Amino acid sequence: MTSELTLADGVRGALLRHARQGLRDGPREVCGVLVGARARERDGADRATDCRRVPNVAANPRTEYELDPAEALAAIEDAEAAGLDVVGFYHSHPESPPVPSETDRDRATWNGYVYLIVAPRTDEVRAWRWTGEAFDPLPIAVE
Amino acid sequence: MDVTVEVVGEETRAVRVADDATYADLLAPFDLSPHEVSVLVEGRPVPEDQPVETDRVKVLRLIKGG
Repeated sequence: MTSELTLADGVRGALLRHARQGLRDGPREVCGVLVGARARERDGADRATDCRRVPNVAANPRTEYELDPAEALAAIEDAEAAGLDVVGFYHSHPESPPVPSETDRDRATWNGYVYLIVAPRTDEVRAWRWTGEAFDPLPIAVE
Repeated sequence: MDVTVEVVGEETRAVRVADDATYADLLAPFDLSPHEVSVLVEGRPVPEDQPVETDRVKVLRLIKGG
């Protein structure tokens, strides 16, 4: 598995803006897809060059998120049509630290992909890779 | 009937099911539970307990948590 996530210029700011919007509107969690280039070699870095907002359709959006499936599929297919990879997904924790919750662990399904969490109150962005059993911390490098 | 099933981000496979199969039946060869995915036809989710009425579906692992 790869050892780092690179965020292209502007992506971190875009993630924080989206999360702050959710903080003002709710508070509610916001979510979306990270697109860019997945590492082609075992120790390379995944690189997110853009993020695509997807509506949160969870029943209780203050403490849960679920990407709208149709919108998520459209975002994924748009990225692939542009020659980009799905690097992973992001969501916000408007009222708690940006670390995976028990619910995050129970519901993660995309093995090997990045799960990034944004905390708008503290302007923190942290990333993990879901191994199928656990979230491995993933250092973030901002270009 | 044969249905082309694409598990988004993973694989595409032809699945043979009975004529009265439901969308949930299409998941069996992939070891996926209806609780962890959404089945989409032409970009729209379909209820997993409904009979299959298409020859191509996409299966999206749900992206959710807390």
